[in-house]
Amino acid sequence: MTRYILRRLIQLIPVLFGISLVVFLIMALLPGDPALAILGPYATPEALASLRAELGLEQPLWKRFVIWLGNVLQGDLGRSITLQRPVVDEIAERIGPTLLLAATALTLATVLGLAAGAIAAAHRRGWQDRVLTLVVLLGISMPQFWLALLLILGFAVWLGWLPVSGMFSAYGGGDFADLLRHLVLPASSLAVVVTGVIARLSRTAMLEELSQDYVRMARARGLTERKVVYKHAFVNMLAKMVPVIGLQAGFLLGGAVYIESVFQWPGIGRMLVDAIASRDLMLVQGGVLVMASSYVLVNLVADVVQHRLDPRIGLE
Amino acid sequence: MTSASFARRWPAEGWRRFCSNRLACSGLLLVCVLVVLAIAAPWLPLEDAYATQLDQRMLPFGSESHILGTDQLGRDLLARLVWGTRTSLAVGFFAVLIAAVLGSLIGLVAGYLRGWLDALLMRSIDVLLAFPYLLLALAIVAALGPGLRNAMLAIAVVNIPFFARTVRGTVLELAEREFVAAARLSGASHACVLFRELLPNILPVVIIVISTNLGWMILETAGLSFLGLGAQPPTADLGSMLGTGREFLTTAPRVAILPGLVILLLVAGINLIGDGLRDVLDPRLRGEGSSKPAPPVSHRTAIAAPTDALLYVERLSTHFVQGERTLHALDDVTLTLKPGERLAVVGESGSGKTVLALSLLGLVPSPGRIVDGHILYRGEDLAQLSEERRRQLRGDRIAYVPQDPMTALNPLLSVGTQLVEALCTHRGLTRSEGRQRALGLLEQVSIAKAAQRIDAYPHELSGGMRQRVMIAMALANDPALIIADEPTTALDVTTQVEILKLLRALCTQHHSALIFVSHDLGLVTALCDRVLVLYAGRVVEEATVETLLSQPAHPYTRGLLACSPKLGQPEKRLAPISGQPPPLDDLPSGCHFAPRCDYAEDVCRQQGIQLRPFGQAHNVRCIRAEELGPWQP
Repeated sequence: MTRYILRRLIQLIPVLFGISLVVFLIMALLPGDPALAILGPYATPEALASLRAELGLEQPLWKRFVIWLGNVLQGDLGRSITLQRPVVDEIAERIGPTLLLAATALTLATVLGLAAGAIAAAHRRGWQDRVLTLVVLLGISMPQFWLALLLILGFAVWLGWLPVSGMFSAYGGGDFADLLRHLVLPASSLAVVVTGVIARLSRTAMLEELSQDYVRMARARGLTERKVVYKHAFVNMLAKMVPVIGLQAGFLLGGAVYIESVFQWPGIGRMLVDAIASRDLMLVQGGVLVMASSYVLVNLVADVVQHRLDPRIGLE
Repeated sequence: MTSASFARRWPAEGWRRFCSNRLACSGLLLVCVLVVLAIAAPWLPLEDAYATQLDQRMLPFGSESHILGTDQLGRDLLARLVWGTRTSLAVGFFAVLIAAVLGSLIGLVAGYLRGWLDALLMRSIDVLLAFPYLLLALAIVAALGPGLRNAMLAIAVVNIPFFARTVRGTVLELAEREFVAAARLSGASHACVLFRELLPNILPVVIIVISTNLGWMILETAGLSFLGLGAQPPTADLGSMLGTGREFLTTAPRVAILPGLVILLLVAGINLIGDGLRDVLDPRLRGEGSSKPAPPVSHRTAIAAPTDALLYVERLSTHFVQGERTLHALDDVTLTLKPGERLAVVGESGSGKTVLALSLLGLVPSPGRIVDGHILYRGEDLAQLSEERRRQLRGDRIAYVPQDPMTALNPLLSVGTQLVEALCTHRGLTRSEGRQRALGLLEQVSIAKAAQRIDAYPHELSGGMRQRVMIAMALANDPALIIADEPTTALDVTTQVEILKLLRALCTQHHSALIFVSHDLGLVTALCDRVLVLYAGRVVEEATVETLLSQPAHPYTRGLLACSPKLGQPEKRLAPISGQPPPLDDLPSGCHFAPRCDYAEDVCRQQGIQLRPFGQAHNVRCIRAEELGPWQP
């Protein structure tokens, strides 16, 4: 097990290298002069020249990449122009809320999606299957930010049950219950699309499992249909779905950008939108790098979980 | 799937199949309406979508000349919705076009040329896929600057990997096919092979990827506009209408809600079409077989079984209905089994042996169904019992040993768990009692070190070992009847013998009757008392082993005997039966075996032939049995 994790960690190195290369290149190859973008059109030529030297823009591209990567490895993601503070500090503050939001949504989506997929497959062509398929279709077809607005309108504005936005109440809040209340709407709107995707994929996976020999054999042993479907077929479907669920984390981290903007959630997604609007490229670079790396790590975790579930994997 | 022929065949047949899918059709209709509206926008009698009238701000629904009211700048909402749909559709269309063309090119080149270029391209694609997809798009927009064109480019770029990967996979598969090799050998240039041979065949695949991704792409571009990074004011775009409208969510919700609703309709329509297309283009998704066995067609007539019979099957018919085709897998099968008796069921592949075994268990996979007949087990008609009662009998009174022990065990659960399960379900044992008994069973089937092996996973055991586990499982509850479906086919010859000996010994020890399904006449003669020969779903001969070996009465049985090798007679010439069994949905009238029979006459082909007595405990379905002459092995 530890050897497997170690091996996977080593395999991550080229992926992370590739990610940082892409992030660096997107930012480095952008048209225009970053110094000009930072200082604005009224800057003096001297100021521009000195900032260029400070940012190392005079150096050849590969050298800039090496220096940048060296800094990143030491935990230095540069300095945010608009916030006037190190990017790392800003991200450190905001990564928690984003991960909390994404993890809650992923949990919701996994539980609901797998259940919906399994039930639909078990009742193939029955009314359960039809209803679930239709609901799922609506779920994956709607803009999640629109759903977020609908939920705010319904549950926060009209019914007044839940707060409109933010992570804690300004007055008198701050405890766990308050956090939960603030989490419900953003996490549910973030979860909807991924729930739909997981439900669709797990339905297909479940149908495949249900046609396997071991399912027939389980029936031949006289097990109840419930056990055949929800024990035997389900564990196999689950083992196959875990990596797929890991991939869905990418949708969640991306979707967090919308949801955090709508709900004023103090996470990295909202930071990114603000940073793009104010052309704070260092912040964008750092934010994307951190989010992409977390995504890669989530997928590693998914593979490890699958490894635990399926005794056949990783033996060769 | 044979992609080559498929690509040429799909338009006509595919369209018919697409039209039979109601959901897909409604999706198509919905999208068509929206597309027509969007294209016709300049000629529709709409208000000006861009004319701001500050004195007409936020007019409600049903206002004069503004049916859906106006927005925060007094612009007509209906007009903006139509023009916004136009923008969103155009953006989605171009984004998907760019992604499809570039992605397919990369996939084609990488998959066709292979080598270092393939490695380089695919590693780059993998890195792009390692990004959360929307964040990569955000980074690109950040670099290029906000704007509708840049947002569209960003979304196109992040979708390239999906096309590239799928197309490359298909090309790799196609490159092995004859028609590509033939084109290459005939000296066609690379470009010619790529564009004339490969491109038409990857089109269905590209259409599938488009149909899955177009909806996402429209949603994501709308999202970028919603965040203010795509379409800029005053452009009418559904995403940015939603984005600016959200500020007025509490006072005028319709300004934000309506554009979202249009996006939902558009994307849902596209996804419906996509699902329909995928059903048509991807045959792998079109599995007919459902796992859950269908209940038998019920009929109320009750019959009485011979008093000494454990199992009495009368006129059993099982058919598979697929569209307009009906496969007569099993027709008019009658058999009797006494307690402790061992009956062999033999026949070629497709003769209905396995369907018979599964019919007796009530496990015929859908679309198969028992359409007629009775299965009396100790007086209870299995074909008319409730599913619950049948379940109680399965694994308890009637046990099953499957053909392939490799796939019959759940790979993720230990063999012990699965064995104990069989015990606990029927006996109400506790787990620890079940485990004790399971250990005993494993020892009975001669598994050494049972205490360790009980916790092993199926993949840790050899094939023979797994079949022993299956037999232990069958014996778990001392069944009165064991149905074994070619239990040794998947095993090597030495293991076969051991497993057969074990099965015989244990059946005797537990006083279980046995129905042993096999295609190997030589094998069953050593094990069974009686033999039932099936051909094309019908019993053609039934006799004791001795009778069958000494005086087989049906030409088919004689054919089977003639082509089974005998130990110690290496010089014996094996004579295979010429021809193929008839298709089960188009059985010949008269004797089903007549087309392959050396003795067939006109009369054999004209009328249905009945199973008839032919000596002591010997039945045959042949009108010329007496004329065949004595059997000379």
